[in-house]
Amino acid sequence: MSRPAPSPFYTLRGAGGPLNTLHFSCHGGDSPLLFSGSGKGAIHIWNLNTRRTEKIVEGHAGSSVIWVSRLQATDTLISSQGRDMQVCLWDLSEGRSEVVDSVWTGSVGFCQCSILETTPRNYLLAFAGQQSEEIKIIELPSKTPVCTLIPDAKLGMVMCIKLWQPNSGAGPLLLAGYEDGSVLLWDVTQRSKLSQAKAHPEPVMCMTFDTKRLRGISGSSEKKLSSWMVDRQNNLQGQLTCLTHPSPVSRSQALTGKIQECVTLVNPGVSQLCIRGDGKLLASAGWDHRVRVFGWKKLRPLAVLQYHTDMVQSVAFSDHQDPKERLLAAGSKDQRISLWSIYNEGADTG
Amino acid sequence: MDLLPPNSELRLSVAQCLRTLAAASTDNTDVTAALRTLHSYLDEGADSRSSSVQRAEFRRAHFTRTLQLLVSNIQADWFHSLTAAQRTELWDGLFLRGPPEQTLLVLMQGIGELRAGTSLNHLVSITERFLHRGRLADLLWSYCLGGAGPSDSPQLRETLLGRIVALPDLTANKLHPNNKPPFLPQQYYPLLATEMLTALERTCQALKDGTDCSLTFVAQTLGKVCIQGHSGLVLAVMAPRLSVCTRSDMVWQRVCWKLLENVPQLCVESVLTGLVQAVAGPEAFGRIVGNLVLTNKKAQFVITHKLLLLQYKYETQVLRIILGYLAADRERRPLLIQVLRSLSQAWANPSAVKHTPLEQQLYVSKALLLSVSLLKDSELQELRSDLLQCMLGGMQSHLDSSVVRIRRMGMVVGECLSSRMNISGTQLKFQYDQDEETRELLSLMTPTTADEAEPLNRVDSPQETSETTPSPQKESSQNKSEPQPSKTDQDSDLDSDDELTPYDMSGDQEISKASPPRYLRDCLEILISSEDPERVELSLRVSEGLVRKNVFTTREISVQMTKVLLHMEDKYSINSFLSLRQATMVALTVTDCIPVTQYLTTEFYSLNYSLRQRLDILEVLALAAQELSKPITEKKDPCMSIAASTDLTPYPGDNPVHWRQEVEKRIQSKTRRLRKGATQPPAKATPNRYAPVAGHFFFPLLRNYDRPQVTFDLLGSDHLVLGRLIHTLGLFMHLAVNAPIAAQMGRALLDFVWAVRYHVDQVVRRGVLFAVCSVFLSVNSQNLLVDLSDQLFETRIWLAGIATGDMAVYFDHRIEAPESSGVPSQLTWHPALPVLAVASNSSTTGGNVDLYLQQGEYVESCHLERPHPPTVLRWHPLKPVLALGWENGEVVLLIHPVGHQTVLPIAHTACITLLEWSGSGSRLVTGDQTGDTWGVSKQDAML
Repeated sequence: MSRPAPSPFYTLRGAGGPLNTLHFSCHGGDSPLLFSGSGKGAIHIWNLNTRRTEKIVEGHAGSSVIWVSRLQATDTLISSQGRDMQVCLWDLSEGRSEVVDSVWTGSVGFCQCSILETTPRNYLLAFAGQQSEEIKIIELPSKTPVCTLIPDAKLGMVMCIKLWQPNSGAGPLLLAGYEDGSVLLWDVTQRSKLSQAKAHPEPVMCMTFDTKRLRGISGSSEKKLSSWMVDRQNNLQGQLTCLTHPSPVSRSQALTGKIQECVTLVNPGVSQLCIRGDGKLLASAGWDHRVRVFGWKKLRPLAVLQYHTDMVQSVAFSDHQDPKERLLAAGSKDQRISLWSIYNEGADTG
Repeated sequence: MDLLPPNSELRLSVAQCLRTLAAASTDNTDVTAALRTLHSYLDEGADSRSSSVQRAEFRRAHFTRTLQLLVSNIQADWFHSLTAAQRTELWDGLFLRGPPEQTLLVLMQGIGELRAGTSLNHLVSITERFLHRGRLADLLWSYCLGGAGPSDSPQLRETLLGRIVALPDLTANKLHPNNKPPFLPQQYYPLLATEMLTALERTCQALKDGTDCSLTFVAQTLGKVCIQGHSGLVLAVMAPRLSVCTRSDMVWQRVCWKLLENVPQLCVESVLTGLVQAVAGPEAFGRIVGNLVLTNKKAQFVITHKLLLLQYKYETQVLRIILGYLAADRERRPLLIQVLRSLSQAWANPSAVKHTPLEQQLYVSKALLLSVSLLKDSELQELRSDLLQCMLGGMQSHLDSSVVRIRRMGMVVGECLSSRMNISGTQLKFQYDQDEETRELLSLMTPTTADEAEPLNRVDSPQETSETTPSPQKESSQNKSEPQPSKTDQDSDLDSDDELTPYDMSGDQEISKASPPRYLRDCLEILISSEDPERVELSLRVSEGLVRKNVFTTREISVQMTKVLLHMEDKYSINSFLSLRQATMVALTVTDCIPVTQYLTTEFYSLNYSLRQRLDILEVLALAAQELSKPITEKKDPCMSIAASTDLTPYPGDNPVHWRQEVEKRIQSKTRRLRKGATQPPAKATPNRYAPVAGHFFFPLLRNYDRPQVTFDLLGSDHLVLGRLIHTLGLFMHLAVNAPIAAQMGRALLDFVWAVRYHVDQVVRRGVLFAVCSVFLSVNSQNLLVDLSDQLFETRIWLAGIATGDMAVYFDHRIEAPESSGVPSQLTWHPALPVLAVASNSSTTGGNVDLYLQQGEYVESCHLERPHPPTVLRWHPLKPVLALGWENGEVVLLIHPVGHQTVLPIAHTACITLLEWSGSGSRLVTGDQTGDTWGVSKQDAML
């Protein structure tokens, strides 16, 4: 019944530093690309056809790059965030590599930014501000501040944020995880907190959100992933219901196919979570050197990918248009990126 | 004087009637008139012609005589000329309406005397009707009425009791296969029980009405039935009914108590044991028996001593009932304390632990735990010192035992006692494997509140229960059915994860932060000094591999490392600590053999080691020896093959292997094989690493065994270690097969075990037997005979003694007989070979003969079947040939294992009674029942 554990499709070496972040860009006309941000301040752009670096961009003065993203509409612009408190916008079209713009965040934390493209030209950028609990949202490229969100209660540092646009057409909402383990839902246009839930006893290290199912999942430094939902009926109130059970659901129950709200991991610590585009798979980057793959629907454990010899810090699913080519990339502190090709066989359904 | 005239008148008239009947006249009218007259004396109706005085007199003095006369004239013509209706009314009526005790006696006498025939059948049918009409209850009840009852003498009573109780036996003896169902014990005794209950019920009614009654006769009947072994059938009917009746009715309770008081002393035991097994719980037992234990010495002995300490066949429920009964009443509670004292003494008695059967010890343990659980706290305080003493002494003797179950029993009981006594807040805790037995023992400490509500419901209000029982089911089914749809709704989502088959995730283990040590010295350092459980565990896990990899480093620190490991304790409860430690020690011993064995063998006899450590030493040595004794192959394969290719230059004419094969082939072709077993090539002797060092393993362990240390007395109380030591030595011996030193080792070992061959402990004796076997197997036969001849002689005698006396301890094989074979009638072993022949008779298939091997394996090919039973079996003195004589005069030779059968051409026609082989087996003598035909045949041709 159970197949032997999978091995990597191939690996990319030579980043020269621990890999903090990965970002795929595969649906452009030219060859599929993978961006990676390293701890040495370089952004590597890997060509997935040749499996070599196409370009190395260094723009954060040697400070660790903690976030890389590519703007969909203007496919030549990427943005990156470094520990030098700058978010840079790059123009890479036609072989260029120059900083178009940069924003000073003032945040000393590791919170990754979140970007939401409202129109082809305009986009919102959310980032952690100078104060530890502060989240700032600005509109780019005009750089006009939209709002600053500070919770009333003391929740500690902002750990992760996610900006999203609900289908109902109301203004964008923001999910934020804080140091004390709370997850908050903010209404950006109202600048008000809609709901709050305590997802973890420890700081929320990472989270990801499925905007179609209105369901998110967050990881922490403990052995548990918590899944929570934004209530569909009370969308206007944005009710955030955390379905976390106090007692973790064991794996044997998970295998019976019961819908569960918690997953217990074998080893503690998750640094990143990622849901595949078709909403079927969830991948977690573990501090225990392993990437875990779950079915997103029921959070059924599917695979444990063992390759890295150090903490895995980033996972990403590729956005290939042909589902059969889809890849899972994992970047680790051991300076390698592993690429996995799994669960692509039933691709026609997704 | 007034009574005389009617009496004499009665006598005259009865005599007249009897004369008429006895005269055997064929005149029906006379006979019917006489019978009617007799009937009139039994009639109690208002229209009867006789006075009550006459009736009483007739019943007292003439009834038996009348019946006897009727029975003796049953063959008379007039009896047959009566019409069926007349016969039923006049003849049978006399039997069924008169005083039942006299009727029963006459009937039983008649049945006993008459020959089989229609008249006997008639009497039997009357007896049947007698039983059917509840006359037994009338009989018992007539005795309950005491003074108003029938004439009474001890002899008569005794006879009557005998007849009542033994009715099934009497009828069965007389009627043989024609016995009637109502007389079968399965039907008769329950009937008797219900009749007794009826009598008791009437007694209760009479007592309520103010009449005095005597229960002596019913009690005697009950006692007699029980002592004859029918208590199960009778009390199965009586106990539930009595239990229900006594629940609310005081009169019933008193009647029950009186009944049991009146049971004859001789029968008290059987009644009580039967009752205690038949009642549902201690409360019911208490209600029925009352405080009989206090008043009746015999009952007290049975309840408090015999059932608890002497017998042990009963279920736990019986123990619960007895002890619950003793605990239930204030007046009986001193008995509980007394019982607890004697139980604790019995449990703790070291000689009992050694010599009583295990089942009895289990029984006593159960009783002890049950009684302790019934104690109140105040009583517990009072008994504390006794219990403590029992616990300490008993634990000691149980833990000393070499039988695992006894040790475990001791642990469980000790735990339970200590937890119950709560000695200054601490309690014992042992590690043992849970099994059914321990769980049952543990469960005894929690008092069960198994009340008798169920039987009450069943008897009193059957409708109520039938109504109530389905309702919870309904509710539960409703409960179940409700959530199901919602669940299926949730699950019905087609877009689920199920299409994604998971990968193997067994590799997903917890990772530890610390990294395992890479060098053996680091490993040693960590094992010595580290306080970090993770590091210790990691080093323990890698140590075996490191030891085996780094041979040179190992040689430097082997002894030190062995010392560390030997003293290491499982401080952090590491998973599979013992096996890891052992594996490492074995690796050390194997890698650096001589110093480590030297160290271990010296430490075995030195001070201040626990038994566990000494056993560990033995285990490590045994495993290491085993590993060393494996033939040296894989490692040196490349160089070996080179050597082989250089050494063995093929000279075609002078090839020793070829020559040997040729001879073998010739022998094969000349040999006719009777049996082709699994042809296993004999193990080839190959060099191993053990032979050169065998002495280092072996001799040091023999050095100091007779010097007792303070903590270690090998020949004294430490049987277990002694047994293991001998076993290990036997193993060393066995592994040293073909080693040059084997003969010396064998002699030393025989000398050593000689001293302990009659040891009290089974484990040691078993070890000795193993050691002796391994000596015989390992020392080659020439050396054995030359060097060890004197020891051999003594050993042989000893072994013969064991084979007859101690055999049961060693061998326990069950013969698996095929379905078809019947009752075994004869069996005989082959004088030289391990084959057993079993002859059996069965009613369906006739006679069978089957062969079995030494461990009871059935030889299918050698099955013989005839329609008549086999009479004589004789094995051929040398060959596996069995001569068989059958009842019809046939003589067959059966050859094992091919199953070839030869019928001898001898003209016997009668049952074969004699078969004998000549000394060399060349001739067979046969003889049959008639004695005149003797056959002597030369058998060579047939074999």
